[in-house]
Amino acid sequence: MIRKLLSLIACILILSGAVYAQGTVTGTVTDKETGDTFPGVNVVIPQLQIGAATNANGEYTIKNVPAGTYTITASFVGYKKYTAQIQVSDGEKVVHNIVLVPSVVGLNDVVVTAYGISRGKNSVAYQTQSVSSEDLNNAEVTSVAEGLVGKVAGLQINTQTSGVNSQKQILLRGLRSISGNNEALIVIDGSIASQSAFNDLNPNDIKSVDVLKGATAASLYGSNASNGALIVTTKQGDHDGLKVKYNHSTTWREVAYMPDFQSKFGSGWDGVYTPGENTNWGPRFDGQMRRIGPDFPADYPLDNQMVPYAPVKDNLKNFFNRGATAQNTISLSGGNESGSFYLSVGDQQTDGIVPNDEYKKYNFTANGSKELGDVTLGVNASFFKDNKNVVGNNIGAQDRAFYWFVLNNPKEIPLNKYSNWQDPTSYGYPDNYYNAYYENPYWAIGTNRDKSESKRLRGNISASWDIIDNINVTGRLGVNTVSGIGKDYRAAQHYDPQLKPSMTDVPSYVTDSEYQNTQVTGNLVAKGDFQLTEAFGLNAILGSSVETHQYRGSSMTANNLSIPNFFDISNGTGKIDASVNESQKRTFGVFGDFTFNYKEWAYLNVTGRQDFTSTLPSDNNSYFYPSAGLSLVLSKAIPAIGDIPFLSLLKVTANNSTVYKDLNPYQVNETYSQSGSFPFGTINGFYLSGTAIDNNIKKEKLNSTEFGLNTAFFDGRVTFDASYYFTKTTNLITNISPSIASGSTGYLTNIGQLSGNGMEFSLGGNVIEAKDFSWNVNLNYTSYEQKVDEIQPGADEIAIESYNAGYGTYAIKDMVFPQIKAVSYVRDPQGRVVIDPETGNPLIGDLKPMGKTTPDYTLGLNTSVNYKGLTVSATMDYRTGYVYYAQGLDIMEFTGRSIESASANRQNFVFPNSSYPDGNGGYTENTNIPISGGTMDFWQNHYNQIKENYVKDATAFKLRELSVNYSIPVELISKTRVISKLSVGLVAHNLLTILPDGQTKFSDPEFKNTGGGYDQNGIGVGGYLTPPPTRSYGFVVNIEF
Amino acid sequence: MKTRISLLLIIVGLLAASCKDFLDVNTDPNNPTEVSPDLVLPVGLNYTAVYEQQDRGLNHLGNMMMFNFGESNGFSWYDQEFKYNATSTFYDQMFDDAYSRSLKQYNILVNRPEGYYKAIGMIMEAYHFQILVDLYGDIPYSEALERGKKSNPKYDKGEEVYNDLLTKLSTAIATIDSTSNAESSVKVGDDDTVFGGDMSKWKAFANTLKIRILTRLSDTKPASFINDELAKISNSGAGYITDDVTINPGYEKEQEGKQNPYWNQLGVNASGTETLSYKATCATQFVINFFQNTNDTTRLGAIFQEDPSGYKGINQGQPNNSDDQTPDYVSNLKLGGGVLKSATMGSAIFTLAEHELNLAELAFKGFNVSGSAQSHYEAGIQASFDYLGASGASSYYTNGKENVDWNNSSNKMDAIMTQKWLATMGITAEQAWFDYNRTGYPDAKPVGVSTGPTAPTGFPLSAQAGSNKDRPVRLHYPASEITRNGSNVPDQPDPFTQKIFWAQ
Repeated sequence: MIRKLLSLIACILILSGAVYAQGTVTGTVTDKETGDTFPGVNVVIPQLQIGAATNANGEYTIKNVPAGTYTITASFVGYKKYTAQIQVSDGEKVVHNIVLVPSVVGLNDVVVTAYGISRGKNSVAYQTQSVSSEDLNNAEVTSVAEGLVGKVAGLQINTQTSGVNSQKQILLRGLRSISGNNEALIVIDGSIASQSAFNDLNPNDIKSVDVLKGATAASLYGSNASNGALIVTTKQGDHDGLKVKYNHSTTWREVAYMPDFQSKFGSGWDGVYTPGENTNWGPRFDGQMRRIGPDFPADYPLDNQMVPYAPVKDNLKNFFNRGATAQNTISLSGGNESGSFYLSVGDQQTDGIVPNDEYKKYNFTANGSKELGDVTLGVNASFFKDNKNVVGNNIGAQDRAFYWFVLNNPKEIPLNKYSNWQDPTSYGYPDNYYNAYYENPYWAIGTNRDKSESKRLRGNISASWDIIDNINVTGRLGVNTVSGIGKDYRAAQHYDPQLKPSMTDVPSYVTDSEYQNTQVTGNLVAKGDFQLTEAFGLNAILGSSVETHQYRGSSMTANNLSIPNFFDISNGTGKIDASVNESQKRTFGVFGDFTFNYKEWAYLNVTGRQDFTSTLPSDNNSYFYPSAGLSLVLSKAIPAIGDIPFLSLLKVTANNSTVYKDLNPYQVNETYSQSGSFPFGTINGFYLSGTAIDNNIKKEKLNSTEFGLNTAFFDGRVTFDASYYFTKTTNLITNISPSIASGSTGYLTNIGQLSGNGMEFSLGGNVIEAKDFSWNVNLNYTSYEQKVDEIQPGADEIAIESYNAGYGTYAIKDMVFPQIKAVSYVRDPQGRVVIDPETGNPLIGDLKPMGKTTPDYTLGLNTSVNYKGLTVSATMDYRTGYVYYAQGLDIMEFTGRSIESASANRQNFVFPNSSYPDGNGGYTENTNIPISGGTMDFWQNHYNQIKENYVKDATAFKLRELSVNYSIPVELISKTRVISKLSVGLVAHNLLTILPDGQTKFSDPEFKNTGGGYDQNGIGVGGYLTPPPTRSYGFVVNIEF
Repeated sequence: MKTRISLLLIIVGLLAASCKDFLDVNTDPNNPTEVSPDLVLPVGLNYTAVYEQQDRGLNHLGNMMMFNFGESNGFSWYDQEFKYNATSTFYDQMFDDAYSRSLKQYNILVNRPEGYYKAIGMIMEAYHFQILVDLYGDIPYSEALERGKKSNPKYDKGEEVYNDLLTKLSTAIATIDSTSNAESSVKVGDDDTVFGGDMSKWKAFANTLKIRILTRLSDTKPASFINDELAKISNSGAGYITDDVTINPGYEKEQEGKQNPYWNQLGVNASGTETLSYKATCATQFVINFFQNTNDTTRLGAIFQEDPSGYKGINQGQPNNSDDQTPDYVSNLKLGGGVLKSATMGSAIFTLAEHELNLAELAFKGFNVSGSAQSHYEAGIQASFDYLGASGASSYYTNGKENVDWNNSSNKMDAIMTQKWLATMGITAEQAWFDYNRTGYPDAKPVGVSTGPTAPTGFPLSAQAGSNKDRPVRLHYPASEITRNGSNVPDQPDPFTQKIFWAQ
């Protein structure tokens, strides 16, 4: 397909006007490697300035060739230029077949760029990286994003939640906007789609993902471009025969690690054993039998529950199941000279690590194309459906997250013994359950469910028309529409106050929700390829695009249901809480892209786009984005370089672009909303939104400059790419945090400046390439940094996501963004912790910057070793030089479950490396004043307030993927006459995670508690609202018929 | 070929031309950009009710500071309160909610053309700003509530704010008068969930607020100042409130979010369940003893639950681990009593009892107030009994006991403040705390019960208060101001020693 697209742009204008009735040269062009015929190749007789392009069958015909001897040439991007002598006589038809040889490995790539336009890599003046289907899915991932982790320099994918369909954040070159969306644009088969559409793709349907890393690369996409783009191409059929493929994988998923907890002290309060406590401030474990839970009355059908007061190994970890995911994909593909198709059906079924958590998804994909004369029609469509049924996340009267109910159990509790929660004579039953404050998680699973279902139709239709040989117009209409329904419910629970005096009855509710989200995009692109003179060529693109986005969501909640376990809105008492949210956004743009080339070694690319958006004030809603880029293939331009024996390519690029970002719908006006409790009878009430709006709000501006280097050695066996870029974001559209005394909790305005720079290197090589043995390695290095140059006059920082307890993520002037701030220790000039000499306790200091939440650098390594049919591949990455706030670890300080809380054996101790004021402005080393309240109070109310304690080094090494694949030798399977290829393999994900030594493990540093939403950029705060990190392993079978 | 290209250009041109209407879709279908004042006022009032009466609201803070409530076995609910841990996160919602909720709504009214709404906006702003000064001292005032125009408002001296509030209240009264004279003035109706649109009552409330302000100023301002202001009140002819000021938008019993907030959070929620805060909260034994020792059993019975074993309280910060200290065995607030009357009772924001006791103080100090100190004092006690639905006020205030019976009270200020403490208990208890900080009264001492370390005056302190500390006399500036308005927020005052200006 790529080749075919190229054929459309690579025609050459026939300049010759002279017509003699003479000979004809004809023939077929084939690819040496594959033997396939080669459409779209320019076959030229330069002396005569005539030529022709091959048709879909790879055939060319040059007519009216005067008799004589000529040089005939054929060229195609990524192939060595073909040159031969031919002799033509009058009236003769000369048949001259041509075989094209790939120039060097790795360079016959074309890049799929904006609007699905393929370009030769040499002509591209910005940095891109392509991930093929094999690289993406060699370890049978469950989502495309998972398959990209560690494989592309500059691409950071954060897994933000655990669970059956985990949420991923996709960042290219970090964060350039404080409040705006920083996630990369997703384009699927030439049409703009969405991150959620990307998540819904079946990884088996992907042909390639081209990563356009910078804003320049994506600048033709207008306001969507500032974060770079992932250009996804799905599989298309081949032009010959029929292929049937079947793929199956089963993987098992288990808890990778639980938080490190103390196991010396059990239930209790302030050093005294208390049955029923969720906190761990009891005496040291002594192995004695002790009552846990309620003291049952004499006539109660159960005896008091007694357990040894001793640690139970893995008591929390054992609560979680081994989950499993099974995936099946069947695909059919094929075609003939004029058309092709690809059909696939996939399903995925997952059982989570939380008992009864389930996820199912189905993908149906149909891609096809058909040539009708000079018009090619195409369709790419996929239908997706999923079902999720997981435990709710508003559990108990306190509306807590599920994981809370697992974490709040002392070490002597055999948690997995309480699954029998429905039996009134079981200790798992709500009234009998030991914990006086937090419910049995098995009960939560049984009575709190969150079910959802979504359906997505995504696809496009296109028509491509070769108006004349060198001009093509392509129109494409895409749709990405998703609709979903959800039901979230909680059953009521009434407690026997004699047994459970501290429990509040749990009220029931059911929420029904629906949403639909429709994105329609259209674009019309005209392309022309002109050889202006022998040396100069021009590739011109003119186009327009339109995008509409419509959302509607509604939800209704009924409370205090009358009939137990009947979860319908009609069952509620009181008024139903209902809401509807709608939004609409439209944008329109016209653009041009001109690439001039000189002798195919110098390329100058200039682009411009004028955008119109519905979301900015109507008198200021249009803006222009320019970009310019230069690509020089030095190895072609300078003979001295070209002649270096081992150097096959040396190319340098430079580019600059300016792009703008607009607002979200309706943000330009302050609005009122109905106040929570209203209406009361006939009295209705509206409140003014907390966020104030700047009347003169403008678009956000991003300027970026990039320099790139692409090299290849030893015929492309080794490649090295490097890029350096810097960006400047100004007029940041930001919801700043004004003083609340201003009467607003937020203020949406343009502020400040962020400037960033980054470097990327990727080194790839086929280290060994022998007959039966090969080894290749790809190493990616990414580093970037965004610094806050300016916030606004009078303010040096803004909170991105801040918690009143005393920590959060901030943008702080002259510091790297984002930055964690936390309540700190007070330190003397020597760095010692200053204590209060009366209590011995460290003083509680101010909120101080504690470090950035984006890594200094990320190293990604992919490697595979192949021996005969056996392939072992691995992907790993290492991120370091940043911090995260282990949210939840601080709560475990309150409950006395943290390692720290037991580190001094619950005794008072002299705080290490501390001092106190000597009264003369100096400090005296503290060697003898112990802290007070070491039994409990110190940890709960003092140490716990110093949030600096929970800022952790986020460095992690992760073995993301490991796979072993064996292709059964063809000799063995050929006898079946049915199967043409068969491979089996073992795969594993996240098999190994290495976190820094000497640091308490809590959760995955990538996790974030509040994904999406306005504070999406507040990365680096997370940990306890999602179940623990997991690893998985399994097997895979691939069969081709 | 030319035709083909022209066709293309025409298509592109048409698309470009039609884009103006095409882009005209930026009107939010779910949220209006303009609403009339009758939709703004009830929300502001509802916020005020919640501010005063929610769990950890203003009244609750007062109950904690004034040793009214303790904590049942099974809860670690009031650790911060019992430690008097007055940091920047301690009750910081008192600052944030005042500005971001109530005052934001009232300021919309102040800027409206409709005179009555404008006046109500000013009166309610005065109500809130005084409380903010009483809690924090210097506060953002003249530059506050400007939203985007002033993201970082400066702080004004508490004393200047107080002065301006008196002016503001006078302006409000004048605005009501001028609006009454204007034809076609927009009337206020049921959306006024305090007085139902009765503007004479708003004028009376404005005067009543002035009395609260003047009472607070009565130790620091010259007598002439107070008397001048009293003369203005008298000249307005609008009088004072004659009933408790409560907000009731039409509370409903069985609807979450539509119940009286105090009932809903410290009593029984909409699904009929006693809340954890209800269970966690009980009387202090000190308060029970005080009521009993002063023959005040009807008010005791109206506020607190008597269990089969009698009244039982737990003093603040005392160990509460024994089984007979669980919620079922201690005196929680009485459901259906005088404080927690019902799910649909109005939310008190100003009691008549407090107003009478304010007048009693001014009269006692010799300012030009009509009526004697004793008559206002006794009227205050009567109003307290009336609010609680308790009987026997007159036999109580004539029972001969110190700080109960006016004539038998050796220290009249102690008597007034003791009665204010009792009258605001569980209702608007912060007022007793403010006046305790100002006057050092009540001086009630624990009798027959051990409490924690005792404050210099003798009024009991939480057992968990640091030995060298008194109860706070103010709040710290909130964490939000430190992070959001750091260049203007004053240095944190010592919350135990740096009194508000009216107490200095």
